[in-house]
Amino acid sequence: MAVQIPTQAQSQRPKVLSVLIDYMTTTDHKKIGILYIVTSIVAFAIAGLLAVALRIQLAVPNNTFLVGNTYNQVLTLHAAVMIFFFLIPIGLFGFGNFFLPLQLGVRDVALPRVNTFAVWGFVFSLLLVIVAMVNGGAPGVGWTFYYPLSVDSNQTGVAVLMVALIINGISSLLGSANFAATIVNMRAPGMSLWKMPIFAWSIFATSMLQLVSLGGLTAAALVTFLELKVGVSMFNPGIGGVPVLMQQFFWFYSHPAVYVMLLPYLGIGAEIASTMARKPLFGYRVMVYSLLGIVLVSLLVWLHHMFALGIPESWQIAFMVATMIVAVPTGVKIFNLIGTLWGGRIIMKTPTYWLIGFIFNFLIGGITGMSLGMIPFDYQVTMSYYVVAHFHNVMMFGTAFLAMGGLYYWWPKMTGRFLNEKLGMAHFWFFMVGSWMTFLPQYVLGLLGMPRRYYTYPDGNFAWNELNAVSTFGAILLLVGGIIWVWNMLQSFQRPITASANPWGGFTLEWTAASPPAEYNFAHDFPKTFPTERPLYDWEQSGTKLKPVDPSTIHLPVSSWGPFITAVAILLMGWGLAFGWFNGYHPQGSPAPQLSASIILYISIPLFLFGLFKWAGTKEYAVPVEHHSLTKYDNGFMGMAWFILSEISLFGVLIAGYVYLRVTGHAEPPAMRPNIWLAALNTLILVSSSFVIHRAEQDQHHHRMTRARLGLFIVLVMGALFMLFQIYEFSLFGKESNWTQNLWQSCFFIIVGLHGLHILIGGTGVALPYFQAMTGKIDKTNHGSLTAASLYWHLVDVVWLLIIAIFYVW
Amino acid sequence: MNTKTHQFVSRLLLLGSQLSAAAVFLGSAASAGQILNVGDMNSSYNRNIWWMSITVIVMAILIFIGVSYALFYTVNKFRDDKHTAEPAQFHGNNRLEQLLIGVPVIIVTIITILAARTMAIVNPTPTDALHVNVTGAQFWWAFEYPGSPLQGGTGTVVNGNELVIPAGRQIAVTVTAKDVIHAFWAPNLGGQRDAIPGSKKTFQIDTDRPGVYQGNCSVLCGASHANMRFKVVALPKAQYDTFIAAAQAYKAPAPATPSAQNGYNIFMQGKASAAAAPCSSCHRVQGTPAAGAVGPDMSFFGSRNTLGAGIWEGKAREAHIQPWIKHCAAVKPGCLMPAYDKLSDQDLGDLEAYLLSLKLPDAAAYWGKVPVR
Repeated sequence: MAVQIPTQAQSQRPKVLSVLIDYMTTTDHKKIGILYIVTSIVAFAIAGLLAVALRIQLAVPNNTFLVGNTYNQVLTLHAAVMIFFFLIPIGLFGFGNFFLPLQLGVRDVALPRVNTFAVWGFVFSLLLVIVAMVNGGAPGVGWTFYYPLSVDSNQTGVAVLMVALIINGISSLLGSANFAATIVNMRAPGMSLWKMPIFAWSIFATSMLQLVSLGGLTAAALVTFLELKVGVSMFNPGIGGVPVLMQQFFWFYSHPAVYVMLLPYLGIGAEIASTMARKPLFGYRVMVYSLLGIVLVSLLVWLHHMFALGIPESWQIAFMVATMIVAVPTGVKIFNLIGTLWGGRIIMKTPTYWLIGFIFNFLIGGITGMSLGMIPFDYQVTMSYYVVAHFHNVMMFGTAFLAMGGLYYWWPKMTGRFLNEKLGMAHFWFFMVGSWMTFLPQYVLGLLGMPRRYYTYPDGNFAWNELNAVSTFGAILLLVGGIIWVWNMLQSFQRPITASANPWGGFTLEWTAASPPAEYNFAHDFPKTFPTERPLYDWEQSGTKLKPVDPSTIHLPVSSWGPFITAVAILLMGWGLAFGWFNGYHPQGSPAPQLSASIILYISIPLFLFGLFKWAGTKEYAVPVEHHSLTKYDNGFMGMAWFILSEISLFGVLIAGYVYLRVTGHAEPPAMRPNIWLAALNTLILVSSSFVIHRAEQDQHHHRMTRARLGLFIVLVMGALFMLFQIYEFSLFGKESNWTQNLWQSCFFIIVGLHGLHILIGGTGVALPYFQAMTGKIDKTNHGSLTAASLYWHLVDVVWLLIIAIFYVW
Repeated sequence: MNTKTHQFVSRLLLLGSQLSAAAVFLGSAASAGQILNVGDMNSSYNRNIWWMSITVIVMAILIFIGVSYALFYTVNKFRDDKHTAEPAQFHGNNRLEQLLIGVPVIIVTIITILAARTMAIVNPTPTDALHVNVTGAQFWWAFEYPGSPLQGGTGTVVNGNELVIPAGRQIAVTVTAKDVIHAFWAPNLGGQRDAIPGSKKTFQIDTDRPGVYQGNCSVLCGASHANMRFKVVALPKAQYDTFIAAAQAYKAPAPATPSAQNGYNIFMQGKASAAAAPCSSCHRVQGTPAAGAVGPDMSFFGSRNTLGAGIWEGKAREAHIQPWIKHCAAVKPGCLMPAYDKLSDQDLGDLEAYLLSLKLPDAAAYWGKVPVR
């Protein structure tokens, strides 16, 4: 789409419907960022109100406001919505989408339409979680959905939570891969990685962490979902499974997730500190190394959530050491934030207050976190209110303070208006005092023996009544603060756009765009020299000027319905998978599928394909555009390469689980196993197909389009053949013995079945460039999705070889 | 560390929390009753981790004061209304940065070594420990003593929701679960351990001071997670010995009144009008044909002081026995016992009379002999 200069008519107040359609089809990273931020704030409001409800129930002993499982449901939704729909997305994807391209000096992310799909997948997964409340009941198992409570027949809504988490995960991975590809491929010419703003680094680090670790959550949710729907299990102690394995899967992601919730905010905090103190960052390189160090070490600490499970002592100590080590780079970040403020001329505006509040609160949270790392102390207070206080300390009045800080800091850039300082200060102080009153008593409650997740408590335990009452009062203060905040945002829209391009005097490239930025971000090109991570300061010193560009020469990706339709299909599919099923089958104790939902499930599949092919069949740009790419790989390939990390992680987690069960003697193969000869034939088919698709890619590269088309067609046929053989094998093996009764067989169906699903996905992926080739969408300048599809197909192959080794040969 | 110092520190800690509670509530006296406290120095567990804890508390306070002082000093000194000079554009300070990495490394090394050494003290099970098997279930606890038939002995001691232990001795608790994951936690006596179906984990608790202590389930386990409590009754050694001997020799007394006799009959055979299984199909009473293991053991029900896994005590307990039998899910969310609401009030009264008649000999009755802590 060529850029249009806003006319008088366009600056009129737009109609609601046209705005909605705009946001459904947009590929503009700023609008997508705003969609993330708005959805996150809505989620924060919902989860915050749920939290107030929890505190009202606990205000006095033996209260009857929310009793039993109702309380558990509110508790589960509070945590799940806060974590997956507020704290992770607002920083990483909200601010990340809006500001990463701006800070890198580019006009969009690497894969704009994938971005549209991801944001709507995110919105719809929130919708699914909320829908659970009215359709069948919300889950009451805690956001950790520990097995076997998750498959307890008295529980509701677990299946839909699992589906929502998986859809949320897919969106999140696509978003993360997109960021990583953007950073590697698309920085402004001359900006090396080491000259990127610290916020861009924090997004990069978080994206990598997300890609490597999210497989754990997906694995836990997937296996739980399959047990509910099909009856296969890796965790069921009744057939020799290990319930703790679920927690291993879960925490493999959910501990790193804590850092996913921290790192973007550390980036925001550093930006605020540098701008507000009018100084460069103190130890930029060390801060980057700290980010990367946290990414690395945080992958090795998950067991510290499970010390009280009685895991072998040597393992506990190893993970305690890692837990302590990760405190060092985290401490460095704090020290360097203070170092950045030191010697500056600190502008005391709301963003600065949020930053200072964060540092102070996070210090308390960090210290109590260290105490929890000491295993003998952890035995005493893990699963008590001490832990509740600790993680709210780091998340609620730690990182969420920087979410607020980021909002106050970037609000003028995003909207062109300022938030009211007085209201902002009121918001800050209500949050500060409210947080202390809510959570500091909870530390004491934990030390006085109150377990977490209690819907009621007896009268008469020493100081429990008083401390709980204070805590509830604090929550009311937080609610008041929240209302002031929302009012502050709403009232700012009543006022005209007054913010200049650089209201705080920031040093990074986003401050050269107008406030709010034009569609094309920048009406100028940047100099090619980036002496430090603060280009605006350096250029001012050296007198370097920006080169104006005529906006009418800028081309942006066109809006498209494809991604949105595909996301809607995913929503329907999620609904169908959660509440319906492919047939009427359901294992004992799990709810029967609803017919209407099953019908929706069947409808969703053609809709999904329609959306996907519509998407693949339209070009990203209306006119051929020369992409500037810092590597020799195109954006599709680069995005897929990063995305594949997450697939490796997913299979890695599941396979590690299976190998553990096998090695420890829990999972013994039954006497009758699938034959090796069929698997060998399938291997031959799959491996040859890899060569064929590689060949096809080469052909396309050398413009032999007929041969490329033929190659893709052969790959599709081979994939179909593979699937047919596998279905035949599954039906044979499924009849031989009952898969719900044999652990090895369960593992086989879960992992090999998941690979089968990947063949389907990969096959659909190959069908897209085939379709593009057939309709003439692939040409010399445009690979379509061929490189990405080919790379994915190779991955599916490699995983198959591993499966052959561990399921057929071993 | 000698015991006197521990007592002193323990009192100091309690005083501290008492004072802060009192300060917050301007005169409203802190409620009387049980004091749950993970720092209870009567437990050898807490004495063993004392050095570790106190070192870390001191370090934590120093770090907190140091860093927050640095923060507020910096902000105060360099805020723009006080400090108007153009800031120097320095990018860091290698020496200082190395120091700021080095010091935390030293601190965490010290903490890690302390914690690992303390683990080596508190984790191994002493050979002379008393073994008790604990099973968590939705939403109650079974406590089973060595020598019971389930452990190949001849004695038979299983109790529900009330764990009787000797004071001054290490208790090796082996925890497992029937249905979902629970966790055993008696805050004054030591740490927590998850009760996981299909696995058994052993750890130690103990206290020097006889008394009744509260325990909780600490892993979310369903609707009545908050109502899955238990009592630990720590008796002086002699009293414990009397209890365990009497308990092993225990045979439920024959019903002495017509009312109890009718209750006995309903318990054992059920009643057609109840339209539900007899009590004995799920509950066990030592010395009678009732041998069910689905619900809590009822052998010493008359000697107990709690009902519904520690929710009601004393008078409140007696008031709840009949409503409980009638429809327990109405008084405790998610309770899995079927409703017996078709039984007449007469029958319910008789069942209560029978259950309350299931008493240990007076000398061995454990409740009321030690104060509630």
